[in-house]
Amino acid sequence: MDVLIQLLLNGILLGSMYAIISVGLTLIFGIVRVVNFAHGEFLMIGMYAVYLLGAHLGLNPYVSIVPVVILLFVFGALVQRFVIQPLLGADEHIQIFATVGLSTALVNLALLVFGADLYSLTVPSARQAVSAGGYTMLVGQIIMFACAVALVAGLHFFMQTTALGRAIRATAQNRNAALLMGVRVDRIYVITFGLGAACVGLASALLIPLYPVTPTIGTYFVLTAFVIVVLGGMRSIYGAFVGALIIGIVDSLSGYYIAPDLKEVVYFAIFILILIFKPTGLFGFGRGTE
Amino acid sequence: MTAKVIAPAETSQRNAGLLSRLTNPRVYCALIALSMLLIVPVLIDSTFVVHVFVTICIFGALSTAWNIVGGYAGQLSLGHTVFYGIGAYTTALLIQHVGLSPWLGMWAGAALSVLVGIGIGYPCFRLRGPFFSLATIAFLEVVRLLSIHFNGLTGGAAGLIVPLNLGWAWMIFENKINYLYIAFGLLLLTLIVSWAIRNSRLGFYLTAVREREDAALAAGVNNTGVKLKAVMISAALTSLVGSFHAMYMTFLEPATMFSLATSIEIAMFALIGGLGTVFGPLLGTVLVVPIAELARGWLGASANGLHGFVYGTVLIIITLTLPAGLVGTFGPRFMKLVDRLPGGGRQREDRVAPALRQITGETGKPILEARNLVMKFGGLTATDNVSITLKRGEILGIIGPNGAGKTTLFSQISGFLKPTAGTIGIVGPDGAMTSPASADEFARLGVGRTFQIVQPFGKLTVLENIMVGAFMRHPKVEDARAAALRVARLVGLEDIKDLEARNLPIGGLKRLEVARTLATEPSILLLDEVMAGQSQTDTQKMVNLIRAIRDTGVTVIAIEHNMQAIMSLSDRIVVIDSGRVIAEGNPQDVVKDRRVIEAYLGEDFVDAQGI
Amino acid sequence: MKLLMKAALAAGLALSASQAYAQQTVKVGALYPFSGGLALLGDESFRGLEIAVEERNAAGGLNGKKIELVRGDAVDPNQAVGEARRLTSVDKVSVIFGTYSSSLALAATQVAQLAGVPYFELGAISDPITERGLKYVFRTNPTSKDFANRMVDSVIEAVAPALNVQPKDLKIGIIHEDSLYGQTVSSFQQARAKEKGLNVVETLPYSAKSVDLTPVILRLKSANVDVVLQTSYQNDTVLFFRQMKDQGFKPKAVIGAGGGYSTRDTAQAVGNENIEGALNVDFPQYRTNPQAAPGIDEFVKKYQAKYGIPPRSGHSLTNYMGANVFLDAMAASKDLKADSIREALLKVDIPMGKTATGWGVKFDEKGQNTRVSPFLMQWQGGELVTVFPPEAAVAKMKTGVGTN
Repeated sequence: MDVLIQLLLNGILLGSMYAIISVGLTLIFGIVRVVNFAHGEFLMIGMYAVYLLGAHLGLNPYVSIVPVVILLFVFGALVQRFVIQPLLGADEHIQIFATVGLSTALVNLALLVFGADLYSLTVPSARQAVSAGGYTMLVGQIIMFACAVALVAGLHFFMQTTALGRAIRATAQNRNAALLMGVRVDRIYVITFGLGAACVGLASALLIPLYPVTPTIGTYFVLTAFVIVVLGGMRSIYGAFVGALIIGIVDSLSGYYIAPDLKEVVYFAIFILILIFKPTGLFGFGRGTE
Repeated sequence: MTAKVIAPAETSQRNAGLLSRLTNPRVYCALIALSMLLIVPVLIDSTFVVHVFVTICIFGALSTAWNIVGGYAGQLSLGHTVFYGIGAYTTALLIQHVGLSPWLGMWAGAALSVLVGIGIGYPCFRLRGPFFSLATIAFLEVVRLLSIHFNGLTGGAAGLIVPLNLGWAWMIFENKINYLYIAFGLLLLTLIVSWAIRNSRLGFYLTAVREREDAALAAGVNNTGVKLKAVMISAALTSLVGSFHAMYMTFLEPATMFSLATSIEIAMFALIGGLGTVFGPLLGTVLVVPIAELARGWLGASANGLHGFVYGTVLIIITLTLPAGLVGTFGPRFMKLVDRLPGGGRQREDRVAPALRQITGETGKPILEARNLVMKFGGLTATDNVSITLKRGEILGIIGPNGAGKTTLFSQISGFLKPTAGTIGIVGPDGAMTSPASADEFARLGVGRTFQIVQPFGKLTVLENIMVGAFMRHPKVEDARAAALRVARLVGLEDIKDLEARNLPIGGLKRLEVARTLATEPSILLLDEVMAGQSQTDTQKMVNLIRAIRDTGVTVIAIEHNMQAIMSLSDRIVVIDSGRVIAEGNPQDVVKDRRVIEAYLGEDFVDAQGI
Repeated sequence: MKLLMKAALAAGLALSASQAYAQQTVKVGALYPFSGGLALLGDESFRGLEIAVEERNAAGGLNGKKIELVRGDAVDPNQAVGEARRLTSVDKVSVIFGTYSSSLALAATQVAQLAGVPYFELGAISDPITERGLKYVFRTNPTSKDFANRMVDSVIEAVAPALNVQPKDLKIGIIHEDSLYGQTVSSFQQARAKEKGLNVVETLPYSAKSVDLTPVILRLKSANVDVVLQTSYQNDTVLFFRQMKDQGFKPKAVIGAGGGYSTRDTAQAVGNENIEGALNVDFPQYRTNPQAAPGIDEFVKKYQAKYGIPPRSGHSLTNYMGANVFLDAMAASKDLKADSIREALLKVDIPMGKTATGWGVKFDEKGQNTRVSPFLMQWQGGELVTVFPPEAAVAKMKTGVGTN
């Protein structure tokens, strides 16, 4: 029982990390409708940026959130404007390959600049273990969870109350109708892509205290994030959040009860089953077969 | 006796056909270019060059095989190395445990891959676009992880080593050029298969399914069936190549054999060369593989990661500048140049159209019976207890205000919607009443329908669009072409038969709908507002056409808003309002019916007129 | 289609161009993963070879001929096949050195064998590399079986005595990343542990790319494991130590199988205080008794002078040592034909403790060096020091992991 609770706790905290990344991917995949294979590399860029700020300017990663989120927003917006947007009219296959090319280029660029070495930033405060009733978690993980909740709440507020948020929602629902209503869809896409990348910027600052950065760190996250986005119903920020928690828990439990090397098999199997039998996502927020 | 006389004539005709094909510059240029893959490495005689060319042949073959699913059928599989790995592992394991020659083992691998292909394809083909791609990636990852986990069977991550038994029987050679012969043979095999599919009914059907699933169904195409055929063929070919590549590398490990990166690369070559074309995938491979190999040789030594960076950047640039691929972008211009070579620019000879399907049966007898059809969408009842009996040889007009449920009724009696309650019976060719299960079965039974919102196969020409319909009764390409040409003439599309359908104006598209449906040679023709968007003269032509069709024995149901046309055309009229049949009878009586006028013009109008 | 021909011809011409000037120098291939996920240690391995070759050239080369290193970069087996083909046919190297990664070595050695070019393995540990009876494949370093045996034997010979318990009373947990390296070493560990009658209570494979090892640690913790044998790369080593601390799991000993346990980066990422006391079985590292490994200090100095940093791991040293053995044999060989080199190699006879790694050299018929064994080391005060065997030891072994 003790172990189960510790595993659940661990899963939820792990899930909150996936959540921030997946919410970003939901914006890109659900609204711009682009399968962004370079999403993990955005994370990698963010983490190197946080590392550089920390190692050379002595910035605390939690302070680096601001510049890195801005940096990633700009980077994402540029990618959308100069790589994806020219391809919006083309076959959707093409967009996938453009992002694959981007991913390859970025991983190797990091290898070129930083080498294959691990870079890690020591943040003792974030690695402090908090014990409650015999269960442990890290300060950094708790901050991550809080940020995930705040991000979802913030995006909810943004989407519901601001004019820009409404325009984004309208575009997500029906691109052509939004276009007819005078929404500048291209610009909305640039902003949404930027927002999606900015979420990853937030994630990268929160991750640095917990994980060292290498050029290939992003590849692990990108498939998991897609699983979560589909699980959550593709367009729903809340769906992605809950989906991330579920995958976190599945990850943690199957690693313990089944076998650590089969935990990916478990959630890929869940992913396939969901796609086939409930393409609208677990909570029916989306449409997987359209 | 007669058979004996005809046989030699047929052979000589075939020989002449082959010869005329070989003198066609398109054919001989392709053959010359292909043979370069063999000649260049033999001339240069360096084992590294041979390796580069073996790699080109292997990836060219993989990409060509992938293109059958990814290009023709439009299903972007990013997990295709599943088949490649299965082929490789099956072959290697059979060598290890049974001592079976890879020449036999590769077929066992192919058979297994076909089964796995069905297992993956059947549930996943309903997924569209990126979802299908993601599902295939998930399958690949699962297979890879399981092959690592069950290391007792596969050797796990430690991998399998193919014993170095030299000789043709074991497919392992000291003289590397032998590898090239086999690789080239495999490439040739996949190209021939791919070319044959492209130029067959299956190829047309795959394109049709890729472009418009509904229209394909209406043309009698079993959508899942043709996609499964494609994936089976593709899986088998991919698997054969995988078996050979394992013998070539002599070392197998899950990370390489079930590699996502390789899966993506295979698809990328096809994309760079031109999706859905026969030679595009090979062309993409020929372009990229040497660049990648050379980049590693030149740049790899100077700085870690530089060549990967250059490779990725080049990919982005290619997708941005050549989104249609090499063949799509330069193909037509290049072909014009080729056609100027000796023997080029020949026109296909017209062929006599095959005989029409004979429709038998007694006029006036019921041919379609729909009883108590109820169709509910959530809380909305679109048709409410509709019963219709169609008599052979009549023209039945269905009218009613917008949203009355006419098109919903059509969709039910053509199998596109399954009624919530009620039955549909159709008299088959044998005279018995049957109830088909799916839209394509309806079509094959002789129920042809058009769509109110036109559904052309945009990237096919007008004639090819019609051919998709014609294939149902005429499986051979030449027969289907001739039959389609006959329909094109009949409907008045002959002048624009070589235009791509997406360039047609709405009137033309409506006629194309009719033509494609007519080409299926239906016994019951369902026309959904085909007069809309037609000029006055065209409407009259259409009315005449429908009458002529009826005179060949076809029974017609038409939904129409053009009152004048429908009244003059129909033998009988059914009026539908709010999902119910409110009137039925001959045209003169129906127009006088109070309920009909009410439905169209409102009660106030009826009262004011004092009818 | 013209494009096709052009590309093909361009490839051919470019490749044949570089064959012209070969004879004044001896070309040797260096096949390592210089890019991709294995790049760090691939490059570190190469540096050992590079130093050995430069040293030799500074001393007049190989019988008066300058040695020219030709690099080959391979990330996967198909590339390894390609690069091995390029090195043997385009660059026409006399021998190939490599490879660090076992899967690349397995693929490349088959090519070299068929091309009749000797292949000198300096770092890959998969046993089959020298078990397939390939005539021209030689290896100086120990195999995964040697690693596994040394790890299990260390529990019996070093850990149990230090803890004052019977080896059979210790609960052992085997965890490993699930690629070739982890799977091979761990399967030999299991076999050895069974042979020696040890009590293995858990065997847990996991993916090295994993971002969470908490479930693994909780499994070990629930089973009250005393000694953990881990075969891991860098990322998962870091994760394991961090999360072990987070979860308050304190085994009596942790023994790594080189890989991630041997690099400074790991210690820095984990924190010296947390990795303190971790045992590691690996190629000799730099804090080894120089008496048992003559030349080791000079190597460190040369490395420092050339690259400006101390060696990042012991891989460079092992590659340096192996390269010297093979270069000596090439110098002693009557010509550079494969058979002559093989003949010269089979004559090599260096007793234990006479090379920079402390190993001796004596090749068996299959080409495997029989006078090798990995050493047992321990992280003490931020340094990886050799603690076993006693003649190579520079410090005494401690028990426990972590200072807190």
